[in-house]
Amino acid sequence: MSKLALNIIHRPELSPEYAERALGGKRDVQDESLDIFLFQQECAHECGLKTTIQITYASLFSDKIVKIAKEHHTKYGDEIGLSLLGLPCKQFKEKYKTEDFCIWMFDEETKKEIVDDCFGLFYEKFGFYPESTGSYFLDAFTINYMKEKYPNVKCAVATCWEEGPKAYHTCNNSWYTFMDGGPWNPWIPSKVNSHCPASDKEDDSGIVAIPHLSRDLMACFDGNGSNFGTHPQNVLRGMIYYEDEKGTEYPYLYNLIDQYRHLAKYNDGFCYNMMFVGPGWLNKAGRWESPYERLAKSYKDVMKYYGKLKREGKCVDMTMSELADYYRSTHNYHDPESALWKDILYGSDKEYFWYADWRMRCCLDFNQGGAIIDLRPYIARIPQKTGIGTENVYDASYPYLIQANYRAGYFTHYAGAGTIESCKVHYKGQTADLCLCRTMASFERFPNGIQIKTNPVTVSLAGLDIVIQSTFFFPNCSCGIINIKREILNDLHGEEVELEEYFTGGFGTTEYQPDMSKIRFETYRFVLRDDIPNPLFPDCGVLREEKEEMQFAYKGRKIGQGQGRTNGAFAIIPDIQTKVGLNGDEADACSAEEGIAFSPVYHLRISKKLKGGEFRTWLSLEKAN
Amino acid sequence: MAQSGKGKLNYRCPRCFMRDIDMDMFFDEEKKEYYCLRCCFRGSEEEVLKLNDQYKEKYGRLKERVVDFGTDNEPPKFIPHRAGEQ
Repeated sequence: MSKLALNIIHRPELSPEYAERALGGKRDVQDESLDIFLFQQECAHECGLKTTIQITYASLFSDKIVKIAKEHHTKYGDEIGLSLLGLPCKQFKEKYKTEDFCIWMFDEETKKEIVDDCFGLFYEKFGFYPESTGSYFLDAFTINYMKEKYPNVKCAVATCWEEGPKAYHTCNNSWYTFMDGGPWNPWIPSKVNSHCPASDKEDDSGIVAIPHLSRDLMACFDGNGSNFGTHPQNVLRGMIYYEDEKGTEYPYLYNLIDQYRHLAKYNDGFCYNMMFVGPGWLNKAGRWESPYERLAKSYKDVMKYYGKLKREGKCVDMTMSELADYYRSTHNYHDPESALWKDILYGSDKEYFWYADWRMRCCLDFNQGGAIIDLRPYIARIPQKTGIGTENVYDASYPYLIQANYRAGYFTHYAGAGTIESCKVHYKGQTADLCLCRTMASFERFPNGIQIKTNPVTVSLAGLDIVIQSTFFFPNCSCGIINIKREILNDLHGEEVELEEYFTGGFGTTEYQPDMSKIRFETYRFVLRDDIPNPLFPDCGVLREEKEEMQFAYKGRKIGQGQGRTNGAFAIIPDIQTKVGLNGDEADACSAEEGIAFSPVYHLRISKKLKGGEFRTWLSLEKAN
Repeated sequence: MAQSGKGKLNYRCPRCFMRDIDMDMFFDEEKKEYYCLRCCFRGSEEEVLKLNDQYKEKYGRLKERVVDFGTDNEPPKFIPHRAGEQ
């Protein structure tokens, strides 16, 4: 197994985000915060690990912290970086006359002013510009400005994977960090939208981005996002621990780190972890029902585990800028990030496959037969601006086409529909959806793409057993395509079944669907002309294209139900500059259907009748201006 | 009657926590009980701890350690976690 690339990041905060209010001014917050930072540093160094110290705005006014950072840089090889988190402090509030503290939520001029201010102060104190920086989220505007003015910067914490409506709800609808839809492991952000991996050198923002946490790719997607990451205090927050005779035990944390190590198998040997715990989480007054002693023990224990992995030659600790160099030396722009992720907490056999590259982010759920339960069209490069003065003051999430948890997924009650991509099997008036066929899958890498193949499942309809195996192929090409093959493995004894591949989509960033009136549908059928022979290939004939169109109007109408040789059904969604389609060679029929006001979704379908063999289709994503 | 305050360990409402809401409770000194502003829960520390233990029941692998992630298309292999080991 390859070595785990590890970033440990500590930020000294003189006004830690939670402590000030929680302590109510009863204790000396500054001293306590500094103590916590020193404790974190000590934990790492004792285990032989180096860190990246991200200096906060308030710390730039503390000679003591500047001195400590310089000492630790010299003694332990720690990198001194600059954080755009931890902005709030007396000096910041007086200067900017605001209580806001999230860099991506300011207007553009203020973003530039803050960046210049922070980098200028940093230079004043340290005599050089930082190579690493970060925030919970960094928008493309801020990254581009930073890179232009301070080209030294090569690495940044730029998102917190799947922190959006889930975190908002967990905090009783009060935590406005909407940044769903990004990659879970390091990536090179696009100049247009920092969620999207860069497509090429032209699109390269010049930094390597890392997420704010290494999160559980199943537990975080399914549930509360804030409890399942390589952040010991998050795990305590989720009560994922128990008491034993030797104290508090949390094997889940070690299992989580190990599953990240296991991802090397799917990424040409690359695997990664990061840990970034702000001092507020180690509050001496305790947090999340845990006394300080348990908070501190959990931090120490995880450092010990990373230290153990390092000693065993299974982990390499890196500073953020070292990680950036390493990442660029091991990755090309079109390399995908893959994760076949298993449940390690609840005791189910559930398995997800996550895929991300410059064209899309996608999740397949094998507990639902391989249904697509999350789909983000990176190929559209949606140029969302964030912050005051834009249409997205606080919502930085990259839009989905499918998000099965926010938008119902496989539908279980009597009226409506949920976003999901799957396949239905029809026989003698009965229907089964592969969403209800639980399975698992295998990963295989080919020179031209990545293949995921499910274990076969059996569908029983009107006394007929139909054994089906699904294969998903993510080709290396310049277009956004997922090839889907449904193969019938058993003898149907001459019986004919119909396979219907379907895509039920929406768009948005939350549970609530924006207006769909701008959506336009197109269906294509290529019909054989019997009046013109094909002079070159007489057997093939000449095809005539038949196209139908429809504008979304919430009337439940449908187009494109005729027979053809090659079919395609498309939805063009101007709000997110995306065209999504289901296509099939040798399909019998396709259709596009609008939803109704009570069920604001759209349906694309493509189907084929067969007595055996396979049905090949492809899901396509394109940018639509 | 004095206003309520936070309890010693900042307990969250166990009922809200079960629906993924972190809702800090307040402590009523007079009645010696915790209560939630978001739902109707009220109870002693003992009741809170009991419900928190119930919450953990959903974590079927809480006390287990993965020893092998297995082949792709099969579940991981677990053993009971040994206290003090990593």
